[in-house]
Amino acid sequence: MALLVFFTMGIALWHFTVFLPDHFWQGIVGAFVGSVLGAMIFGLIVQEVSGRGLGDTDLLTALTAIPGVVIGLGVVYFLGMRSEQLD
Amino acid sequence: MGSRRRYLFILLFVLGLVIVSALVIVKKETKLGLDLQGGLELVYQGQPTGKESSVSGQDIEDSISIIEKRINQLGTTESEVARLGNENITVSLPGITDAERAAERVGTTAQLYFYDWEPNLIGPERVIGGHPGLQPPEGPLKASEERWKEAGRKVKAPKSQQLLFAGAYPTAYDAALLASEQEPAKNCENCSVAKSRFYLFDKNAPNDKLAGPELKEEDLYVSPTGEKIPKDGIVVEIPAGTILVSEYPTNGEGQLDENAKPGWFAIKDDPALSGNDISEPEAKADQFGQPNVTFNFSGSGQDAFQEVTRHIAQRGQASAIGPVGAQEAAALSGHFAVVLDDEVQSRPIINFVENPDGIDGREGAQISGGFNNESEAQELATTLQIGALPINLKLISETQVSATLGSQALHDGVKAAIIGLALVIFFLLFYYRFLGLIASVALGAYGVIFFALIKLIPITMTLPGIAGLVLTIGVAADSNIVIFERIKEEVRAGRSMSSAISAGYKRGIATIIDANVVTLLTAFILFVLATAGVKGFAFTLGIGTIVSLLTAVVFTQALLGSMSRSRLLNSPSALGATGKGLRWHFDFMGASRWFFTISGLILLVGALALATKQLNFGIDFESGTRITAALEKPTDEEGVRDTLNSVGINGEEVQQVSDPNFGENVFQIQSHQLEPGEVKDARSALSAKYGIVQDGFDSTSVGPTFGQQVANSALKALIFSLLVICGYVALRFDPKFAVPVLIAIFHDILITAGVYSLTGKEVSSGTVAAFLTILGYSIYDTIIVFDRIRENVPRMPRAAFSQIVNRSMSEVLTRSLATSFCTLLAVASLLIFGGTTLQDFAFAMLVGIISGTYSSIFIASPVLTAWKEREPGFIRRRLRIAEVEGNVPAFADDIQTALLSADEDAEAEAVAEVESGQTAAETQPGAVATAQRTGGEGNGAEPVGNGDEAASAERRARNAERRARREKRRKHGRNR
Repeated sequence: MALLVFFTMGIALWHFTVFLPDHFWQGIVGAFVGSVLGAMIFGLIVQEVSGRGLGDTDLLTALTAIPGVVIGLGVVYFLGMRSEQLD
Repeated sequence: MGSRRRYLFILLFVLGLVIVSALVIVKKETKLGLDLQGGLELVYQGQPTGKESSVSGQDIEDSISIIEKRINQLGTTESEVARLGNENITVSLPGITDAERAAERVGTTAQLYFYDWEPNLIGPERVIGGHPGLQPPEGPLKASEERWKEAGRKVKAPKSQQLLFAGAYPTAYDAALLASEQEPAKNCENCSVAKSRFYLFDKNAPNDKLAGPELKEEDLYVSPTGEKIPKDGIVVEIPAGTILVSEYPTNGEGQLDENAKPGWFAIKDDPALSGNDISEPEAKADQFGQPNVTFNFSGSGQDAFQEVTRHIAQRGQASAIGPVGAQEAAALSGHFAVVLDDEVQSRPIINFVENPDGIDGREGAQISGGFNNESEAQELATTLQIGALPINLKLISETQVSATLGSQALHDGVKAAIIGLALVIFFLLFYYRFLGLIASVALGAYGVIFFALIKLIPITMTLPGIAGLVLTIGVAADSNIVIFERIKEEVRAGRSMSSAISAGYKRGIATIIDANVVTLLTAFILFVLATAGVKGFAFTLGIGTIVSLLTAVVFTQALLGSMSRSRLLNSPSALGATGKGLRWHFDFMGASRWFFTISGLILLVGALALATKQLNFGIDFESGTRITAALEKPTDEEGVRDTLNSVGINGEEVQQVSDPNFGENVFQIQSHQLEPGEVKDARSALSAKYGIVQDGFDSTSVGPTFGQQVANSALKALIFSLLVICGYVALRFDPKFAVPVLIAIFHDILITAGVYSLTGKEVSSGTVAAFLTILGYSIYDTIIVFDRIRENVPRMPRAAFSQIVNRSMSEVLTRSLATSFCTLLAVASLLIFGGTTLQDFAFAMLVGIISGTYSSIFIASPVLTAWKEREPGFIRRRLRIAEVEGNVPAFADDIQTALLSADEDAEAEAVAEVESGQTAAETQPGAVATAQRTGGEGNGAEPVGNGDEAASAERRARNAERRARREKRRKHGRNR
């Protein structure tokens, strides 16, 4: 269930990237990948470190995904910027 | 063949098909599933036993054949035994209400083995009980007596003495510990069990057996009734080659006393014969009138029996000192044990004086002393007669539907289907007029042919199957809508009716095939991977989709083609094609960021709901038992709970519900998984206290294994569907088209999941089918939009991608809304009239269809646009347009096209600018249509460059002149 929550949060927050300048690697699709992967990987790490099972979810589980999304988007944005500079 | 003759041929063919179908409908009966006619459905999971270490396909097939024979003994007709997945067997028994008896008869494994007893005893058991006629050594005997005392057993009681002197342990735990210390057998070809088995014991003395034997350790922690067992017990693994068996003491009459506590033995698993070596088992009475089962041995069994009994006799003879009489020999003779399903049934001696050369196998043998009545003996005889199952069968799901509730469900389903069909026809007639009439005739033909196929194949009609049927009505109508909208477009474009029909079908068919292939793929994957109930839905959806291609495309084309010159068809008003039609002029791409925001917010709410409220998984996934009981005498929930508690059923949820058939005094009881016997107890207790209305009892039990399988198959079906469908879209369109499709699907499924979480509606296997159908439907809708985009790309060689998409959307939005509305009508009918089960399914479909339509337009297309706009070709186009127009308009009008066509030089310059990296289009995802180039002044009309200033100034002047000219033309156009 936690995975589903992270995934949903990742996709939900990705929708708001339309308000950011499109410097993401592979554009909106890259932002999607970054957002979803960031949410899931970071969420899983936090869930694992905090010793909670994947079945246990609460409000905090959903909020845990937010930093993951930010990190994921940051990575994809950085890759995009670097790629633009190289071009 | 000319087109008119071809049309005539098709019409006659379909007419003939309809007539034949009508005859089939009249002549043949519909095969109804248990949920529609009442009865019992059992689902068993096959587990390896005997010499096999895994369940093979042949084991399942053999078991099915044996179960079929057993069912025939139950006297039920129209029963069905089928394989379900790799290792499950589903047994449908219409009309059977005694679940306990049926489950026992069908699933009893009856693993019968015969052992030469003494040589197979181990350790202290053998020291004490392995030498008949000899006094056991004092030390081991004392140690054994201590064990019996510690276990709280009365050592001096005759029944305890009987077992103690045989070498038995007082508890299973003690025997299991001894067994666990044995070396695994290196060659276990002759073993009754080829793998290690696990037992779970209480950690506190006397270490009661909590679970086992199980082939997997994890299975120990969930009881067969679905209850979770704490993991703090002691797990004992018994290696292959050793087994744990129990034995009840006998009473004075030689009968096994199953009320007494048994003794336990760990024995070497080296049987001399098995149940496969016997023949003609028969229930009889012995000389004392006690029931027994006699049987003969097969050819090889006769030899093996003589051989083993000879060995036992010779061993007894060797232990005798000098000649002995028969009575004295009896005390010295070894035993031959008959073990049925790990329980010693009898352990007769082989008297070496009476049978010095063993017992002639031709005389057969008997099992006696273990039966409380003749019926038990008869059941064992029948089971042995039919044969032992080659595998263990674990009951993982049991559903009992009352005939009344089944017929109510059928009534509701049929009503929903008829109303759904009527609503769709009404809409088609209202919106498409004469074309709608044609579509209605096609829908009628579709209904007749489809229903005949259901009877002819025959497809077992289930509730989910009815849902599939209703849905295919919508799908069949959708195909017509796609084509009719095309025809109307062609008519409005000024084509003659015959050429409009021809062009409409020619252009619409690709879309329909793409959309239907996707639906078929979803149905196929569902059929292969999903569980039984969902399979019915998938099958009807698949067959319906194929039939709809015949009636909605081939038949209607022939019908319209043969009437194309009629006066009626030549009137645009008769087709609803008057005026210019509804052409949307909305900047879909420009507004997409706001739609993204709406979706993002909805998904955020959904994510928070999923995190805090989770999903309400039904017993299909969580395992448990659900009973619906219509009571005669009024009571309340507390009364029902107390009654159930009185028969030992605790921890259940009781809810009073109303039912159209049975009124208000109906209770729904949900608990952990109950055994068939417990369900029977619950029924008896409720019936005794409150009385149960005739046919007013209904139960479903799902074991944890089955729940897990349902969840796994759903996940597999989802992943496979996504992969296959995306592969298809990538192949048919462009790989880049597949990604937005995928994102739109996630969007729809997650929104539906969020709604389910928010509303707390139960998620059942039917909901999963609905989720997967949403997946197919979402793509159906997206394909309609993408198909037009694909078509418009070559038609608009100078337009920006956002303009192509805007144009495509404006062309197909009506069509897309009409198809969705049409399907929604069918689904709404299910929701309102379909009864409880179909309502759950329809609710998921309703949310999914609305979300699917929305995401096709406002999510998939903008994502595609944003991604395609990054391609160099489209970047160049945008730059060119921005240079000419000052910005990129939402729609590519004729003026823009003309200007762009006239200025090839500007195009070359723009290309050069892009390639030299002098400009960069700063766009935002999802807002590409209105985005303007940054870096310029004002509205960003001028490209920024560091080239020659004079050339740049000249270009600016030229562009300004063009803009002025364009404005003038526009004003002129408006004034005119």
